[in-house]
Amino acid sequence: MTRVVVTGMGIACPLGIGREAFWSSLIAGRSGIGPITLFDASSFPVRFGGEVKGFRPEPIVARFPEAAGSRDRKLLLALAAAEQAIADAALAESALRDGLLCVGVGLESLCLEDLTAHTHADNLGQALAQATLTRYPGPLLQTPLDRTATVLGNRYGFLAGRYTNCSACAAGTQVLGEAWQMLCEGQAAVAVAGAADSMLNPLGLGGFSVLRVLSEENDRPQQACRPFDATRQGTVLGEGAAFLVLETLDHAIGRGASVYAEMLGYGSSLDAFAASDPDPSGRGAVRSMRRAIRSSGLEPCRIDCVNAHATGTPKNDAVETAAIKEVLGRRAYEIPVHAVKSMTGHLIAASGAVEAVAAALCITRRTVPPTINLHVVDPACDLDYVPGEAREFRGDVVLSNSFGFGGQNATAVFGRFPMSEPHTSRTESR
Amino acid sequence: MGDVVITGIGLVTPLGRSPAEVLTRIAAGQVAFQPSPLGTVLACPSVGQVNDFDAQQHYPDNKTLRLMNRDAEMAVVAARLAVEDACLTLDQDYPADEIGLFGATGLSGMPVEEIARLVEHAAAADGSLDLRQFGEVALKRVRPVLSFKILANMPICFVSIFEGLCGPNAVYTPWEGQAAQAIAAGIRAVRRGDVPCALVGGCDVKTHSLALVSLQQLGAFDSWMRHGRGTVPSEGAAFLVLEDEARAIQRSARIYARICHYAFRSVTNGGLSEAVTEMLSGMPISRCPGVISAGDGDVPVSAAEIAALERSGIEPSLVLRPKAHLGNTFAAAAAVQVGLAAAVASQARCPAVLANCLGFGSEQGCFVLEAV
Repeated sequence: MTRVVVTGMGIACPLGIGREAFWSSLIAGRSGIGPITLFDASSFPVRFGGEVKGFRPEPIVARFPEAAGSRDRKLLLALAAAEQAIADAALAESALRDGLLCVGVGLESLCLEDLTAHTHADNLGQALAQATLTRYPGPLLQTPLDRTATVLGNRYGFLAGRYTNCSACAAGTQVLGEAWQMLCEGQAAVAVAGAADSMLNPLGLGGFSVLRVLSEENDRPQQACRPFDATRQGTVLGEGAAFLVLETLDHAIGRGASVYAEMLGYGSSLDAFAASDPDPSGRGAVRSMRRAIRSSGLEPCRIDCVNAHATGTPKNDAVETAAIKEVLGRRAYEIPVHAVKSMTGHLIAASGAVEAVAAALCITRRTVPPTINLHVVDPACDLDYVPGEAREFRGDVVLSNSFGFGGQNATAVFGRFPMSEPHTSRTESR
Repeated sequence: MGDVVITGIGLVTPLGRSPAEVLTRIAAGQVAFQPSPLGTVLACPSVGQVNDFDAQQHYPDNKTLRLMNRDAEMAVVAARLAVEDACLTLDQDYPADEIGLFGATGLSGMPVEEIARLVEHAAAADGSLDLRQFGEVALKRVRPVLSFKILANMPICFVSIFEGLCGPNAVYTPWEGQAAQAIAAGIRAVRRGDVPCALVGGCDVKTHSLALVSLQQLGAFDSWMRHGRGTVPSEGAAFLVLEDEARAIQRSARIYARICHYAFRSVTNGGLSEAVTEMLSGMPISRCPGVISAGDGDVPVSAAEIAALERSGIEPSLVLRPKAHLGNTFAAAAAVQVGLAAAVASQARCPAVLANCLGFGSEQGCFVLEAV
């Protein structure tokens, strides 16, 4: 049976750029949320979010000249995180040539500035086309979502395949799961997998605002994202990127790589319920977790911690809590369940990858990050959510959930390497 | 690890909605092109449109249709046709969570006119974007459905909602190669035993102004500028029902073809010809008398494919070029190519058929299907 381990990580998110900056903020319970500075959001109903502060694109552009002039912030964040992960794994470029690349992304970049000049034209399409040909020789009107994979592919190869997944909030976990499956199947020995997103632009923030899923507590942004709290009012948008290097265990041992954790399992499911709301029965979430646990070869009682999707929306957190209890039974009450988004906000496509980094570090550093802003517990949310302060992690296995708009669900299982006792990792989930 | 077969094909294309209809029209030499809505402003003068498509004919009174772009509407109709073609009854043949769904979508399917409605109240006098007006005026006039039209995964999620599919899933984007990866993901899920059945496919609308302008900017029409001919962007959706062969036989399903091999190759720094040659050289295609060619009029793509086929020693007795008749449906194209290959294989004219999913974008794929 092929086993897969995590040997490198890179991250740029509202809690910091780089693994250590992220981790120190995460376990300190610092919020990465603040007023939006990337554009003038002063007239928007929501004026705060989780920005990646201090991000300098110049070194990235210098390394990837193809990205020069890009107005797509998630591309630059992705390249920065992927470079960190590759460097962290100390992988030779030759190993990447025949590797896999799995990239999760959200909304494509569409610059409204390019459209406003033509909104009163008789034929908008023709006016836009004329302008594109004559006045906009440089920046693209739409940046296709495979841009990150193309730029990284041109640099490193990744000839075993480059995948661009756009499964919304589930994308970050799905790319890790797909990479894990393909490594288990022998398609490659190395994969770089991760996701990036930035909804902190007028179209992204505006679109989510009108959906009424965002907290509008502009006067206290750092307290606005309150997963599992009875007073939660909505989620907070953020931006970021995270990439992980996954390797077959044999390959990692063969080159003497340091191992953060083992990826043990993966599952996905669909709610098939409604476009915007999670299925209130939680069946989709239950299926996703059960598939992931089954694929790991573990029993549910071996799950020691849940890194919850926990968006802070009134609907999600109660449904997820019920689903965790259905899957884990009594074990659900015995283990910590924590919410990274209480500090980062919801990074949409990137969230699953960022939370995978948190899961791997939770195992390696033996520390469970806290859930902040949890003061008035929702009676429907009755698990141990690690409120306020990080605590020691005595277990081995972390389950990480991502549930997306449209009803896509994904769950990954990570474990300590080596585990306290032997287990069987299976590529088949049935 | 069981074999994977195709038991259902659903198409929404400018040339028809069943493989038989499309193949008949291709054989008759019909071409579904019409002048581009942008006239001759861009290098490509034509598009392939589905003229008589109305999703409400299939789903009358379905309020969810109002949340959907045209690509999503085409996706749910093509998926329904595929499921019907396979005579698949959810929960009777397979539980809902034992059917996977792996699809592909293209660049945003939202028409530029709809986005313009969003920003028309946010244009300053000099034509720039006035963010204050955007927040104070434009956003208040926007319907909440906006988000459902700009998220790239939604067309495939609508398929899951309309068909009640709850199994493993993924959505890929944005070109034909990634759509071929979606098909391969379904094949792998069935072979692994994750699910006995998967719905795979894609949808795309490349006939509206925003899509056409983006294609021009991205270089998809370079062949038109250099050679006077090239790819004709089109619209449509295609879905295939994949099943574990033993399970398909068990339920007495009609089997179009078995998918026996597939391969992918990534183009690095523009080396399309090398990538296609390497990909096909590893495939057992010399015994394929049928080829569903990727040829769409684009000169470099056609040259790369022809050179790779010549080097492989294949001598096909039947070569079909669907894109030359119905246009390039990009994220839907791979499922169209593979679906037509399966239909050709099932007609017993060709015991094995190569379906090439090549073209714009970095990822290139191909499938070998054989008659059962």
